[in-house]
Amino acid sequence: MTATVGRAGTDVPARPRKPRTAWKGWLIAAIVLTITYVTGAAIGVNLSDLIDNWRHGASNFVKLLQPDYTFFPQTLRSLAETVEMAVIATFISSVVSLPLSFLASRVTNPRTGFMLTVRAIMNMVRAVPDLLYAAILVAVVGTGALSGMMALFFFDLGILVKLVSEALDAVDRGPQEAALATGASWAKADRAGVLPEALPAYASHVLYTLELNIRVSTVLGLVGAGGLGLLIDKVRTFYHYHALSLIILEILVIILVLETVSSWVRRRLIA
Amino acid sequence: MLSVALTAIVVIVCFVDTDMRWSQLVRFPGRMVHYLGLMFGPPDLSTLGHALSATLLSVDMAWFGTVLGILVSWPLSFLATRGVAPLPVRMAVRGIFAVLRAVPEVVIAILILSVTGLTSYTGALAIAVGSMGTLGKWGYESMEAVARGPIEAVRSAGGNLRQIVRWGIWPQAQPEVLAFWLYRFEISVRASVVLGLIGAGGIGKVLSDNVQFRIWDAVGTLVIVVIVVTVIIDLASGMLRRRLITGRWSAPRLPRLRSRSAA
Repeated sequence: MTATVGRAGTDVPARPRKPRTAWKGWLIAAIVLTITYVTGAAIGVNLSDLIDNWRHGASNFVKLLQPDYTFFPQTLRSLAETVEMAVIATFISSVVSLPLSFLASRVTNPRTGFMLTVRAIMNMVRAVPDLLYAAILVAVVGTGALSGMMALFFFDLGILVKLVSEALDAVDRGPQEAALATGASWAKADRAGVLPEALPAYASHVLYTLELNIRVSTVLGLVGAGGLGLLIDKVRTFYHYHALSLIILEILVIILVLETVSSWVRRRLIA
Repeated sequence: MLSVALTAIVVIVCFVDTDMRWSQLVRFPGRMVHYLGLMFGPPDLSTLGHALSATLLSVDMAWFGTVLGILVSWPLSFLATRGVAPLPVRMAVRGIFAVLRAVPEVVIAILILSVTGLTSYTGALAIAVGSMGTLGKWGYESMEAVARGPIEAVRSAGGNLRQIVRWGIWPQAQPEVLAFWLYRFEISVRASVVLGLIGAGGIGKVLSDNVQFRIWDAVGTLVIVVIVVTVIIDLASGMLRRRLITGRWSAPRLPRLRSRSAA
């Protein structure tokens, strides 16, 4: 770097030139705009539909603001079914996912090949969208809450194993090493040295999947898998928007209640 | 101990009250093997071209919806940030975000349906509305988490609110916010498949049609395409996100699933 003589006679290094990077931003913006334009053309964006028909949407929206509370008794069974699907699926998947997570973690499974196989399979389980599981399981098992519960189970299994095995990867390996050094088997060392450290994270992730499940289980019925979704499908085919409004309101209430409870519990678990 | 007992009671009540036909489970493994055999032994690869073009439509839907969601939620997220907007405005905007997050995309699609019909355009609009809730929340959370120093520096140099946001808050929050946009795109891709299942077009539509007509070897191909495409998009987007956050390219690890709770 060339040094120039400053006013005070001392050597002041010349300022490095500001790199010109603005063109990159413009380039990225241009690319994003082009992709957006192309995708917009592909899905057939048209504003005239919006302008012509917004009144339909607006009138439906107004109906939505006036829930039909007399419909409430009819929704109770579906509401219970939704919550039951979510709770049972969360429970079963939490039991099944724990041993699988131990097999999928670097810390607790010393056999790398085996561990990577478990991870690869779990990645595949996770890549299938929830409603797709439901659509296929409805065809295999038949309509009803059972297929919905099983769809949630597979969906949860993928998520839980991923999150819990990541938590296991992050634990302090000291206790486990100590247990192994005393001559304990891997199973015993993991049980005594790793499990207690990962338990709070495990509990918090299980709660998180319960939250996800409630969200998902409200719509599973749209493909025939029981719960509120089935009811949504029924009322929307008959355009009962006042009833639909009540169902949405119920979904909102369950989710908000569950979120509040679960965030409170999780904060206590972490602290 | 109390919490364990409470949890046990809730679980037991659910098991007792539900009217699931558990007897079906006995036959399930056999049937599943049977159906998996129909789907993947071997999958009907002649539908691959059709499957790929349908997937492209799904991705189009996800992209357009996400961009639209970003365009609306980005300015709104400033209005929800502490220190930028006054309390009443903040609370109102946050309330809107919370409601949008709580309503499932599929339900939003059903509402928009009466305006634009059962098209992929409707799917994109539903994704746009749905993504506003999550993007808005992540947006204001990131902007509230920035270091105070630069904000005070701008203020003490005489900067007004606009300048504080432009030079004190946004440059710090920018990488994280951009990474969330990408992450939301990944979620939108999955959502677009799901929206297709109820008729909004794309791969989901093709899938549900084939399931309904029980053309299982075609379903096999479609499931493989869905898995491969979502994994590729997740990997690519995950690499880009790490580039944004850490400033350099790194080999693809499998992306973290849960950056923020309300996905």
